Amino acid sequence: MTGVFKNLYNYRELLKTSVKKEVRSKYKNSFLGVLWSFLNPLLQILVYAIIFSLILNNKQEHYAIFLCCGLIPWTFFSTSINKAAFTFVENGNIIKKVYFPREIIPISVVTAETINFLISTIIILGFVIFGGIGISKYIVFYPIILIAQYLIILSISFIVSSVCIYLRDLQHFIGVLLQLLFYAVPIVYSQEDLPMQYQWILKYNPLTYIINAYRDIFYYQTSIEIVPILILILASIILLIIAYMVFNRLQKGFAEQL
Amino acid sequence: MSECTINVNDVYKTFNVYLDKASTVKEKLLFFSRNKMEKRQVLKGINLKINKGEVVALIGTNGSGKSTLLKLMTKILYPNKGTIEINGKLTSLLELGAGFHPDFSGRENIYFNASIFGLTKKEIDEKIDNIIEFSELESFIENPVRTYSSGMFMRLAFAVAINVNADILLVDEILSVGDEHFQNKCIDKMIDLKRQGKTMVFVTHSMETVRKLCDRAVWLCDGRVKMDGDVNKVIEKYVEATK
Repeated sequence: MTGVFKNLYNYRELLKTSVKKEVRSKYKNSFLGVLWSFLNPLLQILVYAIIFSLILNNKQEHYAIFLCCGLIPWTFFSTSINKAAFTFVENGNIIKKVYFPREIIPISVVTAETINFLISTIIILGFVIFGGIGISKYIVFYPIILIAQYLIILSISFIVSSVCIYLRDLQHFIGVLLQLLFYAVPIVYSQEDLPMQYQWILKYNPLTYIINAYRDIFYYQTSIEIVPILILILASIILLIIAYMVFNRLQKGFAEQL
Repeated sequence: MSECTINVNDVYKTFNVYLDKASTVKEKLLFFSRNKMEKRQVLKGINLKINKGEVVALIGTNGSGKSTLLKLMTKILYPNKGTIEINGKLTSLLELGAGFHPDFSGRENIYFNASIFGLTKKEIDEKIDNIIEFSELESFIENPVRTYSSGMFMRLAFAVAINVNADILLVDEILSVGDEHFQNKCIDKMIDLKRQGKTMVFVTHSMETVRKLCDRAVWLCDGRVKMDGDVNKVIEKYVEATK
């Protein structure tokens, strides 16, 4: 196990440049550039706010703020997984020709998305400040929630990115799956809104706890449920180890499959 | 000096060649019986020990498994059976400029390419002047790589790879880089590296280069080592056989 970290440490410069390239390439050639990091989620919030609060008549107070606390962390999750699914096929050219620790690629995808998420957090802050809710001291929990989320995303990305090379269909299936999952997490509605018989869906979904925790610190201005988050971190670490082992087994065939 | 840097131990490599590949789930489910596959055994029990400081040429006809063997050594491919041990930092020059990004400048690409070889920023900072000087691209280094001619591209890629400072260097058929002047420069650099005690493995069809650089040659034929030994003797037999 220490060998893994040592190898990654030796290739830290590659990790750094890959993350930079990933962040920079996102809005390369677009006129508004990095501004899209703000515009994209803002427009999304606008769309959902119109649909759910105007058309479907959602009664949630400050609905746009409520929405944004869930939607932005969700976007972090879904774009990372989506990108992870395609990343090795896109980078096939170097995979076939040079050796470097393959895990650098999913790690840099997820890390680049983390940076984008950090930038997008400014939107949440903007919403709560200008929406009249304000900022609470509970914001100190933000890094803990972020760590839990990062670990979950990274584990899933390891599995998704490596399996997708062998089963290309999965890439497209993941998009649909993510869309379904979107409604299985309390993003556009709150947990209490769901009928009792469906509550189990949210209960067994780790993302529920993540989204609720973000909402607690930004929207409800209360402390988070610390125990579920800590259990989540612990579970994600175990999942990450398993995911890495799967990845490591599959990566041996990458060059042949691409 | 007899310390073993590359130890290839009874290695087999088989490629699955699909005649009618079902790459989607749909096809796999529908045509599971039709999924014809041919196993092509490329390496059939290779044993090879290369000691520190040795400069070895792998020779053989096309399809004899030379490049596959190099790819196994760099861990791009993994053997089906057998083991490969590598002691020391290894750099491979299999395909030049694989990680180059056409829109980035020459200088940026040096940083990116060198980082693929596992160098840190500090190490690249120290070497960048050498790399640029070696490539002879001083006046173009800030231009995007897509504006380079193919010769310039290769020169830059070669300059990066050669300056990585690895203990073991694997080179696949790339000494035909650039014009004659640059080729000679590359060979001089290789001889220089040889003097520094680096281990090198070449794959090439140019017997002239082999004679100039290597002291040992391994003749691969049909996935097996046919002959291994002094460079002149092996080449003599090889040339005789391929006539």
